[in-house]
Parts: sequence; structure tokens; C-alpha cells
Amino acid sequence: MEWDSSSNSDLSGDEEEAGFMLNDGGPIPFPVENLIQIASPCGFVVTDALEPDHPIIYVNAVFEMVTGYRAEEVLGRNCRFLQCRGPFAKRRHPLVDSAVVAEIRRCMDEGIEFQGELLNFRKDGSPLLNRLRLTPIYGDDEAVTHVIGIQFFTEANIDLGPISGKDSTKSTERFRTGLSSLPILSTGDRNVARGLCGIFQLSDEVISLKILSRLTPRDIAAVGSVCTRFYALTKNEDLWRMVCQNAWGSETTRLLETVPGAKRLGWGRLARELTTLEAAAWRKLTVGGAVEPSRCNFSACAVGNRVVLFGGEGVNMQPMNDTFVLDLNASNPEWRHVQVSSPPPGRWGHTLTCVNGSHLVVFGGCGRQGLLNDVFLLDLDANPPTWREISGLAPPLPRSWHSSCTLDGSKLIVSGGCADSGVLLSDTFLLDLSMEKPIWREIPAAWTPPSRLGHTLTVYGGRKILMFGGLAKSGPLRFRSSDVFTMDLSEEEPCWRCVTGSGMPGAGNPGGIAPPPRLDHVAVSLPSGRILIFGGSVAGLHSASQLYLLDPTDEKPTWRILNVPGRPPRFAWGHSTCVVGGTRAIVLGGQTGEEWMLTELHELSLASSLI
Amino acid sequence: MASSRKITLRSSDGESFEVEEAVAVESQTIKHMIEDDCADNAIPLPNVTSKILAKVIEYCKKHVDASKAEDRVNDEDLKAWDAAFIKVDQVDQATLFDLILAANYLNIKSLLDLTCQTVADMIKGNLFPVRNEWLNFTFSIANRELVLVCLTEWVAHRRLFCS
Repeated sequence: MEWDSSSNSDLSGDEEEAGFMLNDGGPIPFPVENLIQIASPCGFVVTDALEPDHPIIYVNAVFEMVTGYRAEEVLGRNCRFLQCRGPFAKRRHPLVDSAVVAEIRRCMDEGIEFQGELLNFRKDGSPLLNRLRLTPIYGDDEAVTHVIGIQFFTEANIDLGPISGKDSTKSTERFRTGLSSLPILSTGDRNVARGLCGIFQLSDEVISLKILSRLTPRDIAAVGSVCTRFYALTKNEDLWRMVCQNAWGSETTRLLETVPGAKRLGWGRLARELTTLEAAAWRKLTVGGAVEPSRCNFSACAVGNRVVLFGGEGVNMQPMNDTFVLDLNASNPEWRHVQVSSPPPGRWGHTLTCVNGSHLVVFGGCGRQGLLNDVFLLDLDANPPTWREISGLAPPLPRSWHSSCTLDGSKLIVSGGCADSGVLLSDTFLLDLSMEKPIWREIPAAWTPPSRLGHTLTVYGGRKILMFGGLAKSGPLRFRSSDVFTMDLSEEEPCWRCVTGSGMPGAGNPGGIAPPPRLDHVAVSLPSGRILIFGGSVAGLHSASQLYLLDPTDEKPTWRILNVPGRPPRFAWGHSTCVVGGTRAIVLGGQTGEEWMLTELHELSLASSLI
Repeated sequence: MASSRKITLRSSDGESFEVEEAVAVESQTIKHMIEDDCADNAIPLPNVTSKILAKVIEYCKKHVDASKAEDRVNDEDLKAWDAAFIKVDQVDQATLFDLILAANYLNIKSLLDLTCQTVADMIKGNLFPVRNEWLNFTFSIANRELVLVCLTEWVAHRRLFCS
């Protein structure tokens, strides 16, 4: 990474980054070269629409030169002072068209654009015709946060007579020639030079390494459009890698690096695509080999670019115990049966989760003799791959259709599920597999969400878990749920919290369109902490193949529908999905026909595939 | 080591500050100057004004005191002190950036991290690009304390395309 740290900007106002002299030969986001040809520059004003009376927070140099008011004199005031003749007048000049003023007010109230002409006055009282365009800027929650005003000033041919007591002829003369002889604006903003935004004084190195690297990918994308200097800074791959690492954690970043084609895509583009999901698409994958005998209710999990499948329920409802691997990195991926010496007892309705890099852990499920609560660990990279039982002390109740996830790469978390005699559970247990002798530990919580099965647990934001959906207990009955609950395991005393979409007391108002309640769905955790919900058993005629997105780290988490090109799997419950390499979600099975074809897979790829 | 040797620092505007060596060497730059034996007389700091140097010294003093206090100052308390130290209202925005420049020049990592994190927090989530068919440029604005305005304005009705 090369930094030109000698380019500390000087404050003379001729900063390169403030100007349009971008000639690095690279693609330019806007046609800046032509600005040199501009004959009539425009004034540019920004007001804060959230403050009472819309105070000015920024004016550009043209505004200052043409109106004669300097930035310091006008910041914090409403623009209407321009309708007064000179700085001492208290009232709008009678020649200013009050109908236009009313129209401006109406547009601002309604949050729409205004275009029109208005009589304005310079500081010395001389008249200006202001062809004005006001554009409201909307913030995230649909409120207008700022208004941008673009002003084309021309001379107003009106004889107003002298301003009271002052001899204005001389100054008016001077300024009448002012507009036509304005210097061509080849550099930008004098206000910046005066320190309106001191960030431009800092060197590229400090800005990039110390400030920009702490922002989220979304903010970097926006920073890149502030000015040409920042645009150049945000093109740097190393900056993007730092940003991705800070935003998503080093494990995810390392995983993403192994994705074939990632290097060519570059961190910048990868980050953008994983943030905007603009390149997300469904694809169908045909693979070789076979998973035989055929089965349903198996469990699958990805280790890097390999998908591992274990167990399941065979045609005669017998629990299976075989292991299959599908290497998606291979040129012709095919299912391979893995010979293992001592496989775990057969089961279905269990969970398979990735821990410690390339290990897989099985927990629970329904076996030949009933429900299980044993733990088996598979070392996929051993030669040959070996299953090993982990006897954890104080295991939770045997169960099936629970949910599990991995925290910190080595801690298995299981929650809920169905115990003996059909009792639904609502407990949460943690098993630290990095210890020599792992011990199960229940996570005590004063309040737990209603017990359920067929729900999902995902990890986000480092040490937070999110639970969604499932078939939940409600009195003597059970209903499909679309509730979202989160728990922060970095807290001293972690507790469950309700998020959006919940009918629970104390829950926030549901934002957006919540997914229809479901169980046996799929929750994919995106690097940025958002989750993607897909499929499941949904009541009624709702389409289960609609994708829903939720960011639990938002102030007001809101469900969003994600429309993605390509054809999703037709039926999408009872299937299994795993995320391969951080950027592809592979859906296995899920046809409600008798056959569970595992040679035709559906893949939701989240980033451009350059393979 | 509790050497109570005093070091004199001179700001760009000629003011002298006498500080304990332990405080002065919070700055790696000054530490190297002392090690290289350039510190017999006052150490000139031509890039730092007295106003900013005073604040930097205040910061370093607090952090040195905190680390050698007998009943180790609570991490939380130090964080709270840092937050109050760096609190920015509109008037002091210039000070914030001057502090960044000083912390960078003087190579005081913790102060640089603190000040830069403050700026990053001001930017976070507060930027959004604006584009409409008339304006046709991209414009971003952050919160009130930190106005990052796009400097590429141009006259749309006279679109002159390069070709």
C-alpha cells in the first residue's frame, strides 16, 4: 500500500481534492472535466431541515461572491434574509412576490421540490434575480433532513431607488459587472479552506487508516462520493479489506478470501455486493454422485467450500448414520460417501454445525431408541475423517428439531426443540468445545421466549444470537411464529429481548412487512449481521420462496423483501441450507415429492461469481 | 521508571511548557528525540500551537497518572474522562482536527485513536449520496458537526459532456 503522505493539503483553497482537475485516467463518476467551461456558476446552499426554521449550514463560494454575504454571517440563519434589502432591513421587500414565497413554504411543508424565480438582494442592497431550485433530502426514516438550494443569480433590472441613507450607485455599478466577470470556478469550496470541515486538512494516511477504516462498508461507499479526493481514497483495496475486517470480523474475512474468484472481484466490490445484495441471484446447480439411500430430515453444514451431510430419515422412517461430502470447489462436484470407522448412532431432526474451522458437531435428534442428547465431533480433514464422541458433563434434555449455532468459532449453542412425549422446550445451553473436557452450561434467563421447535438461531455482531420463527407454544396450542428474539452473550447476565414482528408485550412496532409465520425455514447470516429468511412451512397460500431481510443492529429493525432474479426452489421446507464460503447459500432437498433429489441444488449467490 | 526529570516543550507560537519526562514520552516522537539526545534545551514543536499543546499535555498527564495510580483508576472512569475530554460542540470542531494532526505528528497512538474514532462516529450512518436527474452530481452530508459537502457542483442545464 503506497501512501503519498507528503500531500498534506495546504489551506490556500487550491486543494486538488476540492477541484475538478482529476486526471488520473481512471473512470470518473461524474463528468467533471467540463466544469472548466462553465460560464455561469450557481450558488449552493444547504439547510438543516430538522432544526426549527431551516438554518443554513453550508454556502458555497459563489453564494458568497454574488450575494456579498460571507458564510460566517449567514450560517445558522434562514435564507429569507435574502428577501430583505440589505442586512439592516427587517422585513421582506415589497417587490418580492409573496405568492412565490408561499409556494416555497408549501413545497417545503410537503417535502417536494420547488422551482421558481424570486427577487433577492445582495448585502449592498442591489437586486438579484434568483432562479431557485430547492430539493429536499430524505434521511433513513423518510423524514426530510436537509434541503439543498441551487441558485442561478442574474441581474434584476429593477430601479429600486437608493437604499435609505446610503449611496448605493457606486457599489451597484461595481457589482453589476460582478456577475459577468466572476472568475471561472475551477476549484471548489472556500468554506472548506476556512475549516468548515477540518477533515480535509488531514493527510491521506490518517484519513484512510485511522478514520475511514472504522466506518462500515455502507458509509465508505457514501464517503467515496463526497469529493474526488475521497473517491480516490475509497478505491484502495487495503482500506476495503480493513473495513470488511472491522465490520464483519476476521473469521468471516478470512473465509471470504478463500472464495474462488474473490481476489479478482476485490474487497471493494465484494463489500459493496454483500451490503447492497445487488448481485444476488438464484442459480441451479447440478452435481454428480448421489446420496443413497434417499432420505429426508438430514442435516447439512458447510465447511469452507465443502458441504457435509449426515444422517436423516430413510424411506421406512429408519434413522440413518452415514456421512456424505460434496466439494463445491472441485471442477465436477459430486457427492461422496465418506467411510468412517465409528459413526454416531443414526438419527434425524438433529443439528450439524461447524466449529473450530474444519470440524462438525452433531447434537441431539431422534434415533432408533428415542431422542438423543449426545455430541459427536467430525474431523473432516483427518485421514480418514473420524467421528468422535464428546462426553460433555450435564447435557441438556434429549431433543429433536432444536436449533443450534456456533459462537466464537468454538462454542456450540442449542436451544428449544421437542423433548420426550412431545413437550416443547425453551432452554438455551452452551458447550465450549475448545476445552479439554467440555461442560454443558445452561444460560439462565429470567424470561425466555415461548418454547418452540423448528426455529432458527443465527449469530450476528460478534456475540449476539437471533432466534426466529418456529412452532411455538401458546397456552395449550401451538402456532407458527414470526417472532424475532435476540440475546447478547457478551453481557454479564444475558437476557432475551423481543425484536420486531412480535405480538409479544413490550415488542417494538413491526417495521416493514414481516415474513408469514413459519417453521423449518432457513436463516442465513450475512457478513454484515443481517439475516436472510427463506422457505419453511408456511400456513395458507403465502409463498415460502420469498426472501426476507432483517438487520437486527438497526435502531428500528425493519423487515425488507429482497427480490432476486433467477428461480428459487419451488417448495422450500423440510430442506437444509448451508452457507458456503460466506457468499453462497445452497439449498438441499426441499421437494415435497417422494424423491429427495440431492443432485439438483439451488444456490442463492450473494456476490458476483467470477468463475 | 519514576524519573522526575522535566522536559520543556515549545509550541509554534513560542510558549514553553514544562512537563515530567514520563508525560512527555507518551509521545513517541518526543521519546525518540530524547533518546537521540536532542532534548537538552527545549524541544521545539513547530507544528503544534500552544492551545493544542496544552490539551495534549493534559491528556498525556491524565493517562500517565491513571496507569501508575496505586488503586488503578477504573477503566470505565478513564473512558468517561476521555469522552469528556473529546466532547465536541460546533465551536471546537477545529480543535478536534488540530488534535488529530498533533497526535499524528507527536505519535501518541491512544490520543490519535480517540480523536479519529470520534470523527468516525460523527460520520457513521450519517452520509447518504444524493442524485437527482437535474443535479446529477453526488452529494453527501453528514451531521451538523461535520459537514462533508461534495465539492463538485455544476450547472445542469448546461450539461457539457466530454466526448
